Amino acid sequence: MPPPATSNLGYTPPDGGWGWVIVFSAFISIGFSYAFPKSLTVFFKEIQEYFSVSYSEIAWVSSVMLATMYAAGPISSVLVNRYGSRPVVMVGGLLVGLGMVSASFGTTIVHLYLCVGVIGGFGLAFNLQPSLTIIGTYFHAKRPLANGLAMTGSPVVLFTLAPLNQFLFDSFGWRGSFLILGGITLNCCVAGSLMRPVKKTVESTPKEEALEFNGPEEAAPEVSTESQSCVQRFIDISLFKHRGFLIYLVGNIILFFGFFAPVVFLAPYAKHQGIDEYSAAFLLSIFALSDMFVRPATGFAGNTKWVRPKIQYFFAFAVSYNGVCHLLCPLLPGYAGLVVYAVFFGLAFGMLSALLFETLMDLVGAKRFSTAVGLCTIIECGPVLLGPPISGALVDAFGDYKYMYYTCGVFMLVPGIFFFIMHYFNYKKLDEEKHKAAVEMRTAEDTVHLNIGQKDKSEDEVEK
Amino acid sequence: MSISCMHFSCQLLLLLSFHRHVNTNLSVSENSTFITEPPVETPEPKTPPLAPLTPTQTAQRSVVLTGENHTEKIEVVNPVILNLECVWPGNSKSLPNITGYWTKDGQTIETSYSNIPLENDRYRLIKEFTIMNEEDLGIYSYLFGPKAKVEFILAAPHLGEVRDKPIVSYVGDSVVMLCKMDEKKPQPISWNWYIQNGTNKVQIESDANAHKYKITNEGKKTKLLVYNLTESDSGVYYCGAVYGVATSMGHMQLRVITYYEPLKPFIGILAEVVVLVAVILLYEKTGSRKHGQSGTEENTDQTNNLSHRDNDVAEGHSSTRQRKV
Repeated sequence: MPPPATSNLGYTPPDGGWGWVIVFSAFISIGFSYAFPKSLTVFFKEIQEYFSVSYSEIAWVSSVMLATMYAAGPISSVLVNRYGSRPVVMVGGLLVGLGMVSASFGTTIVHLYLCVGVIGGFGLAFNLQPSLTIIGTYFHAKRPLANGLAMTGSPVVLFTLAPLNQFLFDSFGWRGSFLILGGITLNCCVAGSLMRPVKKTVESTPKEEALEFNGPEEAAPEVSTESQSCVQRFIDISLFKHRGFLIYLVGNIILFFGFFAPVVFLAPYAKHQGIDEYSAAFLLSIFALSDMFVRPATGFAGNTKWVRPKIQYFFAFAVSYNGVCHLLCPLLPGYAGLVVYAVFFGLAFGMLSALLFETLMDLVGAKRFSTAVGLCTIIECGPVLLGPPISGALVDAFGDYKYMYYTCGVFMLVPGIFFFIMHYFNYKKLDEEKHKAAVEMRTAEDTVHLNIGQKDKSEDEVEK
Repeated sequence: MSISCMHFSCQLLLLLSFHRHVNTNLSVSENSTFITEPPVETPEPKTPPLAPLTPTQTAQRSVVLTGENHTEKIEVVNPVILNLECVWPGNSKSLPNITGYWTKDGQTIETSYSNIPLENDRYRLIKEFTIMNEEDLGIYSYLFGPKAKVEFILAAPHLGEVRDKPIVSYVGDSVVMLCKMDEKKPQPISWNWYIQNGTNKVQIESDANAHKYKITNEGKKTKLLVYNLTESDSGVYYCGAVYGVATSMGHMQLRVITYYEPLKPFIGILAEVVVLVAVILLYEKTGSRKHGQSGTEENTDQTNNLSHRDNDVAEGHSSTRQRKV
């Protein structure tokens, strides 16, 4: 049974109804944000020949897009805080569409960097953050499930875009494909139009019950926005004093170094072992399929009453499991071993992705989530970009993929253990704070009751 | 060695005699061996000479049959005198004499019929072939009577992966077509590009039409750039890797289309997006207007009802610790 619907949001979130439509629209937005940069690689070979550049120069298009998407996080957060999710997502969709359409007329590679990379990246950033934020406003009790379902957008859209892109390329070449993809990404505007701001019905249950089950959100009343300065309202530096946020940030910075590289190198590793191109590509499909199915399952599991209160441990487990997977990968022989690895890695990757933002929401609360996720993404920008090239350098240096896998495994296992330890202490501290606050409340109530009693007594005396 | 050799054991006896006194490299891979020219100091002629010239190499390939069939691929780069030897081990039931013959590309070579005696428990035959140009390449098979067959596939090095689907480009734009030879294969002497004109292949001269075509050769790769495309440029293009013995061809198709083609689906999708957004937003406006009309009088009631309903929902989900005040 999921915990009660009360939260310190100041209103009761619907936890259903239109919320499921929001999950669907977030599914599309998040799906495009993560899958779109990856799916463009289909066009790279032809574009590389057309502009006579090296492969690494063309690969920068995807990297610039991903980097801009992460770096524009804080801007996105500010806009969402100010205007709400809906306008930001619609503008995001327009930006990506515009970027792709202008890229289709591009004459130099720099033109592509700017149109696809920068403009497209901004557009995707304006899709990602608001979608995550709006889920936090619509859901509390079923939030892990909603998050898990929304994050499933990424593998599903990738699965759809990959063959679609190939088909578009065969029919229209890269220019026509970019034009049509610009149109397809405009559907993010449709997703945005569905994101109605939530109707804030006033919470009528007393404050005391709000303290009973809040997860590890700090029981102390949230910092009111009126007392903050202008800058703080936009950036919220106070988050850096938030214990949970710091734990999350530090762990994430390390784990992102080893997060994406194994995906990027799965097919090359298979080919290096002598497996043919189609079987290697099939491995990625297996990975995507297991990723796709585990995300909603993880969301559902995260919602159960056993896991929800200690969801940080679940996340720590997912991170460690990733690490173990990578450490064991080089030991698995042949194609069958790689298939097994692809399945388990897909499970690990999906689990982590489904919980990635849910745990942040859990730690900082839905109100500060928008700002928190903006700060997180801009800081994570570095590891995300540096991870694959560092792994590539390792492969080139040793001529063998296993050292890269060992390194990635360590990069994931260490944060996993770090999370376990730190959250153990964090939970303990939160429980202490909750008890202290509860005790204070009770004494305050007692004094109020006493005062009322005295007032009644004095009134009675007056009446007499 | 490779798995196929488990089925067929290949013994290669190579006898090399040379006109020039230089060393050659010999690399043996799974099914085929290629006979390569050593690095040359003098420049080679641009086109292979048509007059018969004394071949500079002789080579021999032998196959010992262990089953009923064997296929051997031989990559030929330069003109060569090739001795092909076929050995078929006999057994106690073998006839003392059998008749064998050669075929080339399915056609029997009439003069090749011969009787082969059983010597040392095997049948052995060797024949010399002069491989000078493209017509001499093909599939040479030797049949030991009706029972056993040895096939030698003689070919110039094949091109690497060439795109089988058409390359699409736009009117006024330019296009790059790429042909390349595998890393492991020998480097061609030069590259040629041809365009299909009716049933002929017309060679593309990049010097004559410098504003239209540009050919860039980089060893094992070649690129054809076509500028200022028009719809008449659509068609089949061939790239040829020129070797001493023959030219190895690859082909690809170019399709030139106008911008209107992708524009049509784009406008379709754009229309769909606009319609959906309009419908969704209008639906919401009318929905809220309905609420607004009926709700202005009972606004407070509505919010109370909503909050009560939410409370019930909360109650339904909550644990027993929840107390209603």
